[in-house]
Amino acid sequence: MNELYHYDRTRMDALLYSIIERNSSSQIQQWLQQQKDKLEETGALQRFNLTFTAIPRFTGKNVIQLSASDLTALALMPGFFIQGYALDKLARIWWLLQLSANDREQYIQAIESLFNAADMNELVALYSALPLLAWPEEWKLRTAEGIRSNIGSVQDAIMLNNPYPASWLDEAAWNQLVMKAIFTDKPVHLISGLDERANPRLAMVLHDYAHERWAAGRPVNPLLWRLIGPFIDEVFFRDIINVWNSGNDTEKEAAALACAATTFKPAQELLSGSPALKQEITGGRLTWDTIARRIA
Amino acid sequence: MCCSHELTEKNLQPLTVNPAFLERIKGMRFFDPHIHMTSRTTDDYQAMADAGIKAIIEPSFWLGQPRTGADTFRDYFNSLIGWERFRASQFGIQHYCTIGLNSKEANNEKLAAAVMELLPLFIYKEGVVGIGEIGFDDQTPAEEKYYRAQLELAKEAGLPVQIHTPHRDKKKGTQRSMDIAVEHGIDPRMVIVDHNNEETVQEVLDRGFWAAFTIYPFTKMGNERMVEIVKQYGSERIMINSAADWGISDPLAVPKTAALMHESGIDLNDIHLVTFRNAISAFAQSGQINETDFEGDKEIDQSLKFNGSTVLRGGQQPRRNNLSNIIR
Repeated sequence: MNELYHYDRTRMDALLYSIIERNSSSQIQQWLQQQKDKLEETGALQRFNLTFTAIPRFTGKNVIQLSASDLTALALMPGFFIQGYALDKLARIWWLLQLSANDREQYIQAIESLFNAADMNELVALYSALPLLAWPEEWKLRTAEGIRSNIGSVQDAIMLNNPYPASWLDEAAWNQLVMKAIFTDKPVHLISGLDERANPRLAMVLHDYAHERWAAGRPVNPLLWRLIGPFIDEVFFRDIINVWNSGNDTEKEAAALACAATTFKPAQELLSGSPALKQEITGGRLTWDTIARRIA
Repeated sequence: MCCSHELTEKNLQPLTVNPAFLERIKGMRFFDPHIHMTSRTTDDYQAMADAGIKAIIEPSFWLGQPRTGADTFRDYFNSLIGWERFRASQFGIQHYCTIGLNSKEANNEKLAAAVMELLPLFIYKEGVVGIGEIGFDDQTPAEEKYYRAQLELAKEAGLPVQIHTPHRDKKKGTQRSMDIAVEHGIDPRMVIVDHNNEETVQEVLDRGFWAAFTIYPFTKMGNERMVEIVKQYGSERIMINSAADWGISDPLAVPKTAALMHESGIDLNDIHLVTFRNAISAFAQSGQINETDFEGDKEIDQSLKFNGSTVLRGGQQPRRNNLSNIIR
């Protein structure tokens, strides 16, 4: 595919603006409209950049309120997540949609230069906007670069509740994202596409990581076993037995959930050894979200 | 959130044994309007937070050796509005900065011209509270040229100016800096003249400028001298800072001086003005300081909470036990 937007940009633009409208004063709306008109008139990149930077001064940072129908309508871009955003962040994302993307090279250069001179909050807005940017195949390297960031809020913007990485990153970059999320203590259950993109190479990396943690006498995040479950073989199964017998209830539950995700016979037998846990899982009362809540 | 760092309430408690000066200033809040955190360690941030420092301003300066390209300036400015800001937030410290071409490097004219072109990219960013630190070092014609150009930039952007005054020939350099600012039509109330001493303070205050004092061992002000200055000149338009950097300096200079002022019987309100309020009044003229940002644990962007980010929760970091020889 080779097209500007892989979703309905016009409707997303209208939706985001209607949310901004309901969450701002007429003064703010007037200013945003004014900026938009001037941009359309002149197409001047400098105005585009200055407005992007200036947005918080005019919009403030109140947290936006969303209606139930907003949440439904946001399915225009599955997984795109704006709950709890401050108004300036949403307005910045809306503003990015106002830049003409017809000239591919110019567009990419303009967005890249925003990244290159961005402050912390601008970086967060830019990375959160990844799923909505035009020419989506162009942002893979930028995303991989962002994963290397040491700024917690920037990492969060890429890793959590963001559908872009799962859709576009190659396996090596994806694995790096998940590994770094676990390494930096992120709530990994909020990574979009976590199960869909689970893969044996990632499982192996995480297995090695778990052994390093154990060697250091440090605990292992039980959500890690979610990514190993589907690939359980003899080697991984030895880990699962360890976790099952750790004496910690949450870890045992995580081991049970991992066993429930595989057809590997010994794992299924282990799970059958605890009918109570098995029932909790088949009844939908014990899920990975349960584990995530327990360790939160 | 989770398990790998085992962050417990105990990890977040301050050390129980405080140095005597910390006892004296317990509960006070401080603002250090001049400190180069780029050159400091994470331990300093921890100690500053423990001593009550709520917010700081990091002026752009030179890095101890001259830069050879504009891109290293770009990366430096970027780190002031990105990485350094995040590093500070981990300890609940609000980080602001001033952006500018320092006087030393203004003497490399070719580079200086390229840096001047970069400045507009950065001066409008959130949390940029002024143009600084600019002014004179050697008092050369090149320094004057770029000082003037940056005064114009500050005027256009409506930003305060943070002036570095020279170590050598200080009195004349300070006078000249003020003369030029006035010549460019800049309101003295928008100008913070830094690194004052007993010889310069009178004129700076008389002409309506803000007078900042740097408490820095051996080369600038000592804090006993500072106590005498506040006794003599009071607290109006006077502020103190540490200017701590890669030299022998002290990131706790502001709280330590507050303790000494308290011990010397200076009025609490005067201490508050000189170590907190005046710096805010001066730099808030940029429109870029929101005091609620450093009052309590208020999180601005609720999505941070949604994501359950550990590092940013209450701006706290797990505490390393400095007194133990065991490292875990």
